[in-house]
Amino acid sequence: MQFSYEVKDSYAEVKSVGRLNMVAAPKLREVVAEVVAAGSSRVVVNLAETDFMDSSGLGALIGCLKAARQAGGDLRIAAVQPQVKMVLELTNMDRVLTAYATAEDAFGDD
Amino acid sequence: MTDVVARRGYHGPSTDEAIDAIHNELDSLWDDASFVPDMDRMTFATAVIEAAANIVQHALPVAEKPVEIDVDISVRPARLVARVSAHNAREPFADDMQASMPDSEAESGRGLALIEALVTTVTFERQDGTNTWILTRET
Repeated sequence: MQFSYEVKDSYAEVKSVGRLNMVAAPKLREVVAEVVAAGSSRVVVNLAETDFMDSSGLGALIGCLKAARQAGGDLRIAAVQPQVKMVLELTNMDRVLTAYATAEDAFGDD
Repeated sequence: MTDVVARRGYHGPSTDEAIDAIHNELDSLWDDASFVPDMDRMTFATAVIEAAANIVQHALPVAEKPVEIDVDISVRPARLVARVSAHNAREPFADDMQASMPDSEAESGRGLALIEALVTTVTFERQDGTNTWILTRET
């Protein structure tokens, strides 16, 4: 599992590559905390290359969402793959973590 | 006895490394059972990883010996079966057996509810210091 990020004009994009499981979840929290602490509270997590997420990965996304909102921003997810979509729907979290087609679209409306 | 078409297993210390190793076994399982539909692979694999992660995160040793995790996954003609066991483990706390979905702010506690939503049956057994989850999915 790997995470990298890039600060763009109006948001920061965090790329998640690999399985977002209980091993990777704490790393995602660290990376997003770092991004938010550096001043980017509008965060997109690009999940194009994440073909698996478990409830720990989902918990990390929820924690990151709260961290971004506490800093006055928001966290959105993009390019969700079928297994991740399934986990979001079965846990009813698809209504909280809105999925956008691409990272560019995530903050495209504001 | 139902015919087993394909089988994979894992046995080792209950650590982070076990999770990825079990996931690799699941991925390779489908090489020997290509007839299993994608939806069944996805749901079953998610349930097995949730059960294994529950053990790694919550299982406490019953004595000095560390907890070991054992997974036996089999594909049968119309059923996927996984036995996910924690050896040398204490009986789980009631709080760790919570199977209802928590509210949307919660950052943990969805694992068991998710397992129940993903498979056809979930059975828990405890015998001689071993906790075993038996997950089945009809295909």
